[in-house]
Amino acid sequence: MQLRRQIIDKLNGFWMITTLVTILILPLVICIGLYIKAAPIFEQHSFLELVFTSKWEPSRGTFGFWPFIAGSLYVTLLSFLFTAPVCLLAALYLTQFAPRALIRIMHPVIDVLAGLPSVIYGVWGILVIVPFVSALSVPLSGSPSSGYSVLAGGIVLAVMVIPYTLNMLIEVFNTVPSGLKEASLSLGATMWESVKHVVIRGNYPGIISAYGLGIAKAFGETIAVMMVVGNVVKASGNPFNAAYPLPALIANNYGEMLSIPMYDSALMFAAFLLLIIILVINLFFRLLIHKTKRL
Amino acid sequence: MKRSIILFAIASAIVLSGCASRKKKDNTITLSGAFALYPLAVKWTEEYSKINPEVRFNVSGGGAGKGMADALAGAVDLGMFSREISAEEKSKGVWWVGLTIDAVVPTISSQNPYLPVLRQQGLSRSDFKAIFIDKTAVDWGELLGQPEKAGITIYTRSDACGAAETWAKYLEGHQENLAGIGIYGDPGMADAVAKDKLGLGFNNTIFAYDIKTGKKRPGMEIAPIDINDNGMIDPEEDFYETFDGILEAIANGVYPSPPARELYFVAKGKPQKQATLDFIRWCLTEGQQYVKEAGYVPIDNEKIDSYLKKLG
Repeated sequence: MQLRRQIIDKLNGFWMITTLVTILILPLVICIGLYIKAAPIFEQHSFLELVFTSKWEPSRGTFGFWPFIAGSLYVTLLSFLFTAPVCLLAALYLTQFAPRALIRIMHPVIDVLAGLPSVIYGVWGILVIVPFVSALSVPLSGSPSSGYSVLAGGIVLAVMVIPYTLNMLIEVFNTVPSGLKEASLSLGATMWESVKHVVIRGNYPGIISAYGLGIAKAFGETIAVMMVVGNVVKASGNPFNAAYPLPALIANNYGEMLSIPMYDSALMFAAFLLLIIILVINLFFRLLIHKTKRL
Repeated sequence: MKRSIILFAIASAIVLSGCASRKKKDNTITLSGAFALYPLAVKWTEEYSKINPEVRFNVSGGGAGKGMADALAGAVDLGMFSREISAEEKSKGVWWVGLTIDAVVPTISSQNPYLPVLRQQGLSRSDFKAIFIDKTAVDWGELLGQPEKAGITIYTRSDACGAAETWAKYLEGHQENLAGIGIYGDPGMADAVAKDKLGLGFNNTIFAYDIKTGKKRPGMEIAPIDINDNGMIDPEEDFYETFDGILEAIANGVYPSPPARELYFVAKGKPQKQATLDFIRWCLTEGQQYVKEAGYVPIDNEKIDSYLKKLG
């Protein structure tokens, strides 16, 4: 009996370590696999040339990824600008000001939003957001736009990312000990002052990591963005113009890989780039969290 | 003796049950790929299942490129494919049979303010080339010689697909050379063009017309092609009003090819599954009766015979 318990104990310990190691190694394996697949393209072009040139003609063997990288960054940035204030204020209201019953109603709503398949967001984007952006384009930018644009992509992404960021922020604000806020109130601070100085100031790392998670998720979102962003290979500053994000490039051209030489390496390189960029985003936010913790 | 009988019974039961479960797997046929062939494939699989209830189908879209990639990767039994099979693809050991013919048609919104003029003048191949490939024609008014100006919103397909490749081939280019906003999927393209009164795109016939009414889809119009390039649409070039009209023009070769083209099933090497072979054989023989009612043009009998020979 004793022996059996010891064996089970050993086994379980062994399994736990194995699974942990697997999880840790997995990103590395993916990264190496993608790099090996993308390697043929480095024989013809340098890394910098691939990333910073804009000419995209696969059948002539010219691969410039800059429009795709710029498109991805632009759409993600716009979605962040829409989500950041909305999520922060909504989470503050729900945790600090709202009656308890409201939070109980809101939780399932947020979960449903988070669980919707992205295709549904894409269809909703085509039916609602694209015409809306098209109608906005003449009064705001002076030239008509079809609505399939960076802005439409940003709005759809923002709505998709809100549930994740909001959930994280609610968790973060719920960890504030009520004693701290009460102390601040008893010293004569108003409700808003207490929230500002106790809840927000004390939780910078949590808020930043919530935003970081949202941005990383937004950056890799494929189908919903692909359906509304217009997929035109051209980097431009006008949000009413179409753009072509990296994930859409991979998803759209998966079928052409076989008929054009070097195309599959180029697409694998795109996937590799996506991974690298998301890693960089994550590292950047880790660093920020680290910095704010010391305040 | 008794024991051996029991053993034999158990053994044969195991073997039979193994057969049964294998049979289940052998009787499921998966297809993916071209939007152009999707409606007909769905019709065929429905009709085939009525006669052979034991066969199950999974049919999904995704564009011709996806069909080819899936078929070569062995992810599906048959890829649906809607453009010419390239030399690179043939060198990878693609096996194919042609099934039917359809066409890609240039589409506009029924709200297009230039519609009456377009119906008179049409657009020639060089006009389309100037719009989609050379990007020199950017204005409806200038293109049609009208005083009031309005920019053309060009739409193309974002997914790797037969429609765009075939349309580009008609204009002496490839899908990547086509200008315009990239829309995912044929239904998405139809929707975008119908909504944009200055839009110009292209669709497979089956997505430009409504099979139930035999007319164009609500909100959609065809930009007629001036085939003989004489600056006007002659009576023999005016066949877009009804679905039957355009199908007849494709069948008679009046409508140019490309953009008319054959549609294929592709696979990596000749399919090994008996169920798949039986299904293809049925599509080429009895299945041909559904081709017209589903809104496609039948291929001629010589071709059907040559494809049947490929099945062995």
